[in-house]
Amino acid sequence: MLQVLLSGLAIGAIYGLVGMGFAIAFYVTRVINFAEGQLLMVGVMVAAWLARTGLDPWLAVVVGIAAAAAVGAVTYLVAVRPVLAFDRFSFAWLVSTLGVALILENGAALIWGPTSRSFPALLTGTSVHVGSATLTLQEVVTIGLAVVVAIAFELYRRKTLFGKLGMAIAHDPEMATALGANTAVVAAAAFALAGAFAGLAGVLIGPITYSNPYLGDTYGIAGFVALMIGGTARPAAAMVGGLLLGILGEAANKLINTQASDWFPFVVVVVILLVLPEGLFSLVGPLRRLVLRRSRRTSPVRVAG
Amino acid sequence: MSAAAPALHIAGLHAGYGRYDVLRGVDLDVGPGEAVGLLGPNGAGKTTLLRSIMGLVKHRRGVLSVAGTDLLRLPAHRIARGHAGLVPEGRRLFVDQPIEDNLLLGALHLRRHRDRVAELLESVYDLFPVLRDLRRRPAGALSGGQQQMVAIGRMLMSDPKVLLLDEPSLGLAPIAIGEVAEALEALREQGRSILVVEQRVDLVLRMCDRIYVLAGGEVALEERASALGDDGRALIDAYLG
Repeated sequence: MLQVLLSGLAIGAIYGLVGMGFAIAFYVTRVINFAEGQLLMVGVMVAAWLARTGLDPWLAVVVGIAAAAAVGAVTYLVAVRPVLAFDRFSFAWLVSTLGVALILENGAALIWGPTSRSFPALLTGTSVHVGSATLTLQEVVTIGLAVVVAIAFELYRRKTLFGKLGMAIAHDPEMATALGANTAVVAAAAFALAGAFAGLAGVLIGPITYSNPYLGDTYGIAGFVALMIGGTARPAAAMVGGLLLGILGEAANKLINTQASDWFPFVVVVVILLVLPEGLFSLVGPLRRLVLRRSRRTSPVRVAG
Repeated sequence: MSAAAPALHIAGLHAGYGRYDVLRGVDLDVGPGEAVGLLGPNGAGKTTLLRSIMGLVKHRRGVLSVAGTDLLRLPAHRIARGHAGLVPEGRRLFVDQPIEDNLLLGALHLRRHRDRVAELLESVYDLFPVLRDLRRRPAGALSGGQQQMVAIGRMLMSDPKVLLLDEPSLGLAPIAIGEVAEALEALREQGRSILVVEQRVDLVLRMCDRIYVLAGGEVALEERASALGDDGRALIDAYLG
């Protein structure tokens, strides 16, 4: 069971990073970037290509993440901003970001070929034993990095002026403009950060999946589901959603059959969304109030007793 | 106007939404240190005028400048950086964020000048001492009057040359209206240039040097507040319908 849990966390961390990418872009702009999964692919492909050309693999990985971030920002400027400038309430970004996804996918297939190519093995060689379970060092690093990144992002959002500005723009973009915020710059930065998250996920999963132009589909969908589980109120919730999705998938593979991770987690997600349409974290507020009320109600009893 | 450049100068301004002009040639000036009231019936274009000054509504033609700077050439976020500051109708605070964060978000463009931001924050707390004690509370947890103080404070944090207020008394309890009016009078005594949209004629006549009545997107009346006796009030009432 421990093995299922840890392997689930390792793959879930990838889903969570992509999910947070979706969430960060959505948080600031109210736009779902359907090319988010393809940004993961850009990170993988660019890093793999640079490593093949003889660049230091670690440097290649960093450039891969930067490339995903850059493509994220360009996606906003080319496919989202013009659409919203034309009509603030338009939903044309549904089509335009999907278009970017197709262009990226087919562009990558055109440049690097449609088949899987090698990805530099950075940490996969070493095994780490945790109790009865065994993980690769790569998986351990993935889990650790994902958690650190999620916490760091949440601290940044709440504690820095730029983070608070992001919250303000999420709440009322026009008012933020009337306070001197250049919302286009903040939105482009959010898309870039979202791209960096996807790129990071890409270089973490690359050694396992190898580089393939169609990687974006699978991880894009998983990341989107992670977002739906966590809800959109706070981007870090998508990380929790991703970890949960990963564990559910591993458990299904183990307990039902080896292909069950293709469908079982989604059944659970549908059930969660039927009960909690705003995601798992919509429970946080009411639960907190319930606990507070109960502690208030019970404390005098305890004193009397 | 006098020889000094007016704090706010508007001439022949046409602006509106889509293809429809809400403002049809508005002429309006606010002198340095002057408090000007803007009255008018619903739909006259009062809010649209304030939003146009902030660059939030598309202008078609006309002149719009603050202390000699042509605002029509600036994007909205640049206008908000020290030229004009807006207290919008309904306050539009960031209700989940603490009061102090709301205030600091008003001083975005001054973020590299920490001393200046601290100074401005201090002056806001001096104007509204109650906010100092509540500064860690989420803005949404405050009373209407206190929220209006935060909205005014947030606008002051941008250190604007012209202060724009849209219905500062709307939806407030009488005691809160008194507090807000006092704060506005204090700002006026500090020599700030103010343009305030307000439904309550008595407040406008008390706070302002001059009034404009806007009707159908044009200025229908301009008069010194002191020149308006009881007859003037009747005149305004006639315009307000």
